Amino acid sequence: MLRVRDVTVRFGGITALDAVSLDLNRGEILGLIGPNGAGKTTLFNSISGVVRPERGSIFFEGHSLTYAPPHVRARRGVARTFQNLQLWPSMSVEENLMVPMDALGGRNTFSDALYMPFSAYAERASMERARAILHVLDLDRYRHTPAGDLPAGIQRRVEIARALAMRPKLLLLDEPAAGLDAKETSRLAELLHTVRERFHVSMLLVDHDMSLVMRVCDYVYVLDFGKLLAHGEPAAIRNDPKVLAAYLGEESKKLTGEVEAAARARRDERPLLEVRGLAAGYGGLEVIRDVSLDVKPGEVVACIGANGAGKTTTLRAISGMIHPRRGRVTFAGKDVTGRSAERITRLGLVHIPEGRGLFPNISVEDTLRLVSNTAGHDVDMKPAFELFPRLRERRTQLVGTLSGGEQQMVALARAILSRPRLVMIDEMSQGLAPTVVRQLFDIIRVFREQGIAVLLVEQFVESALDVADRAFVFEHGTIGLSGEASELRADRKLVAGSYLGTAVEDGAAIGVANGNGNGNGHHLDPALMETVAVRLPAKVKRALEQRAEAEGRPAGALAIELLQQVDRQ
Amino acid sequence: MTSKLAFRVLATLVAFAVLARIPVGFDVGFKFDAALAVIWAFGLLSLVLLTGYVGQISLCQATFSGVGAYTAGMLVSNAHADYIVAVGAGVAAAFVLGVLVGLPALRLRGITLAIVTLGIALVFDRYVFQDHAFEWFTGGTAGWRVNSATVFGLQVDSSKHLMGAYLILLALFCVVALLMVNLHDSGAGRRFRAIRDSELSAATMGVNLTRYKLLAFGLSAAIAGLGGAFYPLVAGSVSPQPFWLFTSLQFAAIAVLMGVRYVPAAALGGVFMAVIPDVLTRYGHGTFHGHPYDISYDWFQFAVGVLLIVQLILLPDGVWGDIRHRARHAISAARVVTARRMKVA
Amino acid sequence: MTAFAAYTIIGLGLGGIFALAALGIVLIYRTTGVLNFAHGAMGMFSTFVAWQVFYGWSHPFWPAWLATFLAVVAGLVFAAVMGLVLEVAVFRWVRTREPVVKAVITIGVLLALQSAASLIWKNNQYHLPIYLAPQTATIQIADVPVGANYIVIIVVAVGLAFGLGAFLKYTSFGRAMRAVSDSPTSASLWGVPVNKVSAVSWMLGSLVAALAGILITPFINFDTTSLTLLIIDALAAALIGGLVSLPLTVLGGFALGLLETYPTIWIQSLGFPRLIALLVILAVLILRNPRGLAVAK
Repeated sequence: MLRVRDVTVRFGGITALDAVSLDLNRGEILGLIGPNGAGKTTLFNSISGVVRPERGSIFFEGHSLTYAPPHVRARRGVARTFQNLQLWPSMSVEENLMVPMDALGGRNTFSDALYMPFSAYAERASMERARAILHVLDLDRYRHTPAGDLPAGIQRRVEIARALAMRPKLLLLDEPAAGLDAKETSRLAELLHTVRERFHVSMLLVDHDMSLVMRVCDYVYVLDFGKLLAHGEPAAIRNDPKVLAAYLGEESKKLTGEVEAAARARRDERPLLEVRGLAAGYGGLEVIRDVSLDVKPGEVVACIGANGAGKTTTLRAISGMIHPRRGRVTFAGKDVTGRSAERITRLGLVHIPEGRGLFPNISVEDTLRLVSNTAGHDVDMKPAFELFPRLRERRTQLVGTLSGGEQQMVALARAILSRPRLVMIDEMSQGLAPTVVRQLFDIIRVFREQGIAVLLVEQFVESALDVADRAFVFEHGTIGLSGEASELRADRKLVAGSYLGTAVEDGAAIGVANGNGNGNGHHLDPALMETVAVRLPAKVKRALEQRAEAEGRPAGALAIELLQQVDRQ
Repeated sequence: MTSKLAFRVLATLVAFAVLARIPVGFDVGFKFDAALAVIWAFGLLSLVLLTGYVGQISLCQATFSGVGAYTAGMLVSNAHADYIVAVGAGVAAAFVLGVLVGLPALRLRGITLAIVTLGIALVFDRYVFQDHAFEWFTGGTAGWRVNSATVFGLQVDSSKHLMGAYLILLALFCVVALLMVNLHDSGAGRRFRAIRDSELSAATMGVNLTRYKLLAFGLSAAIAGLGGAFYPLVAGSVSPQPFWLFTSLQFAAIAVLMGVRYVPAAALGGVFMAVIPDVLTRYGHGTFHGHPYDISYDWFQFAVGVLLIVQLILLPDGVWGDIRHRARHAISAARVVTARRMKVA
Repeated sequence: MTAFAAYTIIGLGLGGIFALAALGIVLIYRTTGVLNFAHGAMGMFSTFVAWQVFYGWSHPFWPAWLATFLAVVAGLVFAAVMGLVLEVAVFRWVRTREPVVKAVITIGVLLALQSAASLIWKNNQYHLPIYLAPQTATIQIADVPVGANYIVIIVVAVGLAFGLGAFLKYTSFGRAMRAVSDSPTSASLWGVPVNKVSAVSWMLGSLVAALAGILITPFINFDTTSLTLLIIDALAAALIGGLVSLPLTVLGGFALGLLETYPTIWIQSLGFPRLIALLVILAVLILRNPRGLAVAK
């Protein structure tokens, strides 16, 4: 159905795609994998018409798409989603779905504005179909919510719904699992199968989550450095040594014994960072409350927990990016609660936020030289380049043009050069290929060797617990569990309970125990709680859960009942 | 949906009925202000469409009004055309120019587009409206004179029969405003807003960017031109000064100040732009030791500048947007209170 | 040939004016991320302060150089204070908003400053400019006498372009400025004192505006609108430099100056050269972004 032949794309001097060919048959789910910067998104962009290839041709159902503008391709039946969500944030979910539908109908601006009968009829038809799609994807309840107000996980689903509204024959999915936790990812896999059956679409899927790709796809293509490396059935790809070397990297060595020894040695020292009863939030929403944790000098501590549990907010409140509402933060013996980020940073705390906190228009070299702002003198960049030889090659390149992994390297290099006492890293591995992730986790060991303490927020629970001495498990905006990393690793059930319904795949790369029988004794419909979380402050949500527990009913049912009562009033 | 439409039609009719009565009993000067307010409101409305709905930036809306005004003035004075025909020609000329200005917008966006449109405004302000080479179009330094005309059977001129001009303008404004509100929720409106929110996904979801951007620029220019085309009739003549560069900047500033996403904000802004400077000119000189003319206008412009800064810092959604949010808040709060009272009872 | 040389020199002089005005715009854009439509107005206001000192307050018995010196110093000091005030009172609060919002705010600043100047100094009269070099001093270049003040403008423009460029590139404060404009949030996490740095950026930008204003006024109608409106040619030159490169901006200024001068050899119209210049700039801009869609990464 889709035939891509010898597509070559160049940006400036860099060849992003080098004569890539690919075939997709009707009804197939095709996987496209490869390390960061391999050209997957560029290939997507060439197929959907956002980027024009320099050479090569693209055929869809026998028509040449090579020179067609994006909207023509869309109308031929090629729809896509975006890696960085591109919904129309100010429009309601329903409206988001109606735009592509109208585009198919060829509606007229003037008759629309005049509210002519034909337009009214078409309008009703679109709306009904939008509702049908939302129903299948279980999004009915968000119909009138502005898309921008939804949590990222739901937004990803809305993007798929919007693409389906195009009545596509081919659906291009660009990292649909990015930013989702294990439970959400496994729901996504089910969803994709449902979508294929209900809407009769073929799919081309790009993702870093190998478990998703292997489970969903019928056939897999592997890209590396803009070239096609291999293709085959998932099982074959999994065992292809070439692919393993390029994409998965070598198994990392475990250092468990050493870690435990280090942890024991530090147990009695005075903490470097001490957080007591911290509460913080955004606008009317209090996201974390009563968070207490501590990090000892030279220790590696991991914060884990489901999406939206408050890990990122905690880091932000510590580093001064947001103002804590209550509680106290002590760092290096000084009370730093509510101080500005730049003053806290100068005390020797480096915070690498989500998105890496870099400057896209400044070169690698100049970025690293900025470290002299905290150090007070010019810095020698050698250690950074020794650790990351790749950065030496790219020293004059602008940071914004680097791949995600290289950017993370710049952020970590800065952390090493400024010789801080504590480094806080938020979602280091997000959006990165496994090889890169493994390399980066090795850097944490470098920090440990240099006596720099690390506070880590991580989606990959296993990897995080591997490198950490201790861990705090976040749950609904506060800390549910804490303990030695080794203990937590041994007792997966315990961690799973705190994840509140985090399902786990056996055989999948990451995960904990099954979420259905979770340790807290009450079920919540997570999707419903997400809506509630959007509307209600954490306090109310909490009260709801407590009442549900007292009455022995699921909180989801209770919430629906309450909402219905409110509606009736 | 239909009830919503009925409500809007009703609201528009009420607004027309109320607004139509207001200038009655005032002197000619204020009647002129009232008509001018509607002309400026058209200019602001054109930005509601272009910036509020489609997210494109333009700093040359007054140029479109000016082209409408000069085209209409030229046709009436030179060719003795019927005024309705002249207005139609003015709107068409503005539409064409709008589409031409829209062409660079296919490739440029944001700040770059703002600079380019500002350049266009300058070229027209200094080198078309005021240049000898274009006297055939601008009527030279004297401009075009339009003494009186009969529009839709109403006798209209710039002195005795100003009310007629005001009523026609107001009626047209109400119709266009109603169409704009309808457009917002319609399929085309959704496509426009999709372009505003994310061009990238609009294109990949089947929206023809070229067509809709050009359409938006053309329609927006036509709306501004429609207001402008009545200017010669209302003022009696056309001169470059009302459509100079700073009017374009003021359009942008006041549209944002009032709330660039809301149609009623355009009406509010029009009144603000036309009436306040005149009030200042008339009653402002007592306080300013014998400098009655320029000072008051400068005070107005100063106030617009300062208000714009304060507003953008404090109320990102504009004055009307803020009023709307507050009203909604108050309504929902009132509902909760009533519900509680009923429970207690 | 002499005519052509004369036009070239006139064009270069005009270009120097554009370049000087454009430099400050690019400087502020690079260090604060704000496209400053009020740049011309800021320069105009400071220039009027200098004018006030020179013609209003200086004693007739002072030697001319002293009066000039005091006037220039007063203008520059005022400019620095104005930059600081604008940063603290206005731009600090909108640091994280979209670039377009910030640009609209500068339109507010423009309207306010321009009308304030009209209120104070009146719009309806021509003001005598301040000459740094004696008005009649000329230098012969290729048989064409060139006013010394033109030479000053060109030298200052080129000097500032390279000086400021080097400052931004090679000093730690310059790097901090670029970091703040790229992402203030990240900059604070890197320990950069964001408020201080952006205050200095605005003061510096305002200083360059004032300097440009004082140097340029001898060659244009010195009233409240001309300098404000010079912003448009300056923005065009800045666009040629891609709003990034200072030396390219100066080149763009010269190119624009020549572009607006040469057609006047053949055509007696003010509008036509401007139109040509506008079209050329459009072509440059469109060629520079060949793809219509911004590819979000």
